Amino acid sequence: MIENSFNRRDFLKVLGWGGATVALSGCGNTSVEDGREYVTSYVETADYIIPSIGTYFNSTCAQCDAGCGIMGRVREGRVLKLEGNPDSPINSGKMCGLGQAGVQAHYNPDRVREPLLRNGDKGEAITWEKALQLVSEKVASANPGSVAFLTGGVSGHVKVLLKNYLDAIGSDQHYVYEAVAPSVVRAANKKAYGVEMPRLRLDRAKVVVSFGADFLGTWVSPVHFSRQYAKFRKGVNGERGVLVQVESKMTITGANADRWLAIRPGTEGILALGLVNALSAAGLTVPAEVAAAVKDYTLDRVSNDTGVSVEHIGKLTALLKDRSPSLVIAGGAAEGYAHGSQNAAAVALLNQVLGNVGKTVEAPASMPFPQMAPITGNRSSLQALNDSIAQDGVKVLFNCGANPIYSAPASMNMKESLKKVPFKVAFAHYMDETAMEADLVLPLNSSMEGWGTVVPEYFAEGAQLNIQQPLMEKLHPGTLGMGDVLLALLKQRRPAEYSGYEDYYAYLKNAMVAIKGALGGENEDDDVFWDSVLSQGVVKLTSSSNALVSSASAAGLQLPPPAVEDGTYPLRLIPAVTPNMRDGRHANEPWLQESPDPLTTIVWDSWVEMHPKTAAKLGVVEGDIVEVASKNGAIKGQVYVYSGIHPDVISVPLGYGHEAMGRYSKGVGANAFKILDPVFDQQTGELAMYETRVKVTKAGKRVIVVKDEGPAGGNQSGRRIALRMASGKVNLAEEV
Amino acid sequence: MYRFLRLSVLLVGLIAAVGSVAVHAAQPLTTADDLGPVVDQPIEFPHDRHAGDAAKGGMQINCMYCHTYARRSNVAGIPPLQKCIGCHRSIESVRETPRIKKLFEYWEAKKPVPWKKVHDLPDFVRFNHERHIQRFVFAQEKPVQEACGYCHGDVKTMTVARRQKPLSMGWCVSCHQKDHPVSATSTKTTHGPNDCWQCHK
Repeated sequence: MIENSFNRRDFLKVLGWGGATVALSGCGNTSVEDGREYVTSYVETADYIIPSIGTYFNSTCAQCDAGCGIMGRVREGRVLKLEGNPDSPINSGKMCGLGQAGVQAHYNPDRVREPLLRNGDKGEAITWEKALQLVSEKVASANPGSVAFLTGGVSGHVKVLLKNYLDAIGSDQHYVYEAVAPSVVRAANKKAYGVEMPRLRLDRAKVVVSFGADFLGTWVSPVHFSRQYAKFRKGVNGERGVLVQVESKMTITGANADRWLAIRPGTEGILALGLVNALSAAGLTVPAEVAAAVKDYTLDRVSNDTGVSVEHIGKLTALLKDRSPSLVIAGGAAEGYAHGSQNAAAVALLNQVLGNVGKTVEAPASMPFPQMAPITGNRSSLQALNDSIAQDGVKVLFNCGANPIYSAPASMNMKESLKKVPFKVAFAHYMDETAMEADLVLPLNSSMEGWGTVVPEYFAEGAQLNIQQPLMEKLHPGTLGMGDVLLALLKQRRPAEYSGYEDYYAYLKNAMVAIKGALGGENEDDDVFWDSVLSQGVVKLTSSSNALVSSASAAGLQLPPPAVEDGTYPLRLIPAVTPNMRDGRHANEPWLQESPDPLTTIVWDSWVEMHPKTAAKLGVVEGDIVEVASKNGAIKGQVYVYSGIHPDVISVPLGYGHEAMGRYSKGVGANAFKILDPVFDQQTGELAMYETRVKVTKAGKRVIVVKDEGPAGGNQSGRRIALRMASGKVNLAEEV
Repeated sequence: MYRFLRLSVLLVGLIAAVGSVAVHAAQPLTTADDLGPVVDQPIEFPHDRHAGDAAKGGMQINCMYCHTYARRSNVAGIPPLQKCIGCHRSIESVRETPRIKKLFEYWEAKKPVPWKKVHDLPDFVRFNHERHIQRFVFAQEKPVQEACGYCHGDVKTMTVARRQKPLSMGWCVSCHQKDHPVSATSTKTTHGPNDCWQCHK
């Protein structure tokens, strides 16, 4: 909301007059600069470098943890545009919008450019020598066990160096935090199948029932799943796959589904067990123990609890029974409750009963080098750090790739908690909320300037190792790679082992060449092998995989009845993970703010999404500023009315409302993380993201919602482009 | 009140700015030679010595030996410093002359020579060297110096290059309207494209 009397109409007037003036005076060659512009040539160059023609170099996208292979177009020494690497099995040459915005992370004007040391409220620029000296002094003076690292998900050689550094100083405090991660589903999968994340074969399924897994937008490896989804839609033998999405708030995957079922929040598990019972009644062979455990989940009860009609449950049952193999996926909407583990277990049980294990749920490839395999983050790890700080167990804290002050729930009070740590070092790309609190800020290279290896969390085929290589020279001489810093610190601790490496590149090359036999280069010359690795960008590893547990068991499944309505806080808040913003770490890349949210088409702000019925009950219309208050805080936002959401629920996107970070993110929208209730999944201790109860009150003003779809919104202004049909009139049998 | 004040200030500023630029940049619609400004270069590169006729003490080096990108890219390109050094490393006779000493100073510091651009086009014009060189030099088998000279003038007689042609739109079009044979052996003729978007895209 820009307060300025110079409004749009005035601006257009000036623009009009200005345009006329230009037209009158005639267009001269106003940008010709004969003899004034410099034209700089290379000093030395390779034959394949031709000015004005792009050269592509393979690397790995660092925007999320999916690990897609990318090719950067480089011209005159500058990276201009990213494309997908066709040789990477994960993304097969495709990319998503978040990945495209990677160049804006690199060229971002708000990047930290030199090491900063806290002096009161300000950061004072210092040299790297001084910074590293200071770090080693602080580490040396602290008790070895009280040095801790807080990171986002890490893998590859940086993970190895980090582990070695912690070993060298004698600390075991490495905490890995991710604000938005399928931690509960991972734990439930581990129990049900024996692995955290099985390989899902959408391409082989004839029916996919997704309980809130936004696999086309934000879940685990969206670009890979989108490719599989395309194959699934083409179908085996021309039989087009059917997607049914069950969730309380529509995601981009829900918008693509043949059938979107709005379910009462938290009752996903009940529906899954109801389906098991209905399938058993319809003649599917179900183990006696399971059948007995689900026999109470009758059609009427399930329909009553979940709000999904008996008719729809019947159709879904028939669909699952007729078309095999199918695939059932539990995602964010199923796991976000206090009984999230139970929901996810119920969904896994449905998969097992349907006989999908081994057909569409496969064992993932295992990483032959476990020391490089990714560590996935979760909230319990941050809690463990918090507890350690409370017991005075952390004297020096290194933070890299995690922004807990922004994204941890208010109840954890991370800002106050971190104040108790005497020396905090932040490896930072931006001065984000957590870096602002640090005593020493060390600026990192962008992913387009540094070397590295990345092992993706989710292997599309076999195990693979991705290469990250510089696509151009460093923009700012004062930045360093995480690997270089760790190597410098290790040189002080273990000079015998590490002093031989001039920099991280030398270390990386040496480490890769040392295992070239396992990387498929046993007969190659070292340099030939290394060059081929760099040119491919992806190394495919030979790997094995273990069989999955496929026996169905309902032991320990205890689903609570649907939650009762809270009188004071009648609505449930769903913090939406949107394809643009995710957990907010890229909010300072203006393309992501500017590209419309795929469902609401809103730009440059957050919103409060609600069902028309809910809006009518509250007496609000689109654009009304409302206050969303939970027991833990309140935020304000503009109302967006949308029928793709359950009437008991409102939704606010995550990732907005930064208090620091940069010019494109600071103060844009509101931070929904901060009002989440501290309710945790009973089994894993993860934050139950969907358990927050809120009340919504009108806060006075009304604004024009800045969005792409025009004032009529989904009504299409009577143009009848995509025809709508009342939900009751759609015949799912015809769709099949 | 303030709003209108602010508006009018903006408006006046805009007219003044556009007007002043237009006065400076107004170009006559002519195809006659139009000498560009004399450009001070960090090294006074003698084009005549390198490309000039042997009778006048030149080496008759092909333009594309140094401006090697012209036949395969939008831009002709300034040769990389290593190209200059490649020859001059073994030309002892001029090794100690001031210009060559300066050249080696750049080379030893691994710094590019900050050449000034002599032939510049507005940012809204896309000129493609490759198309012209492929047509005139390779298809029509015109001598290289003649083909380059259509736009760059008689560079082989210059020391530091200086713009000789107007490089204005009317001048470009005057040539694009002329018929010329499609290749050296063909009797079929054609003319250059005259669609706006060929250059303004």
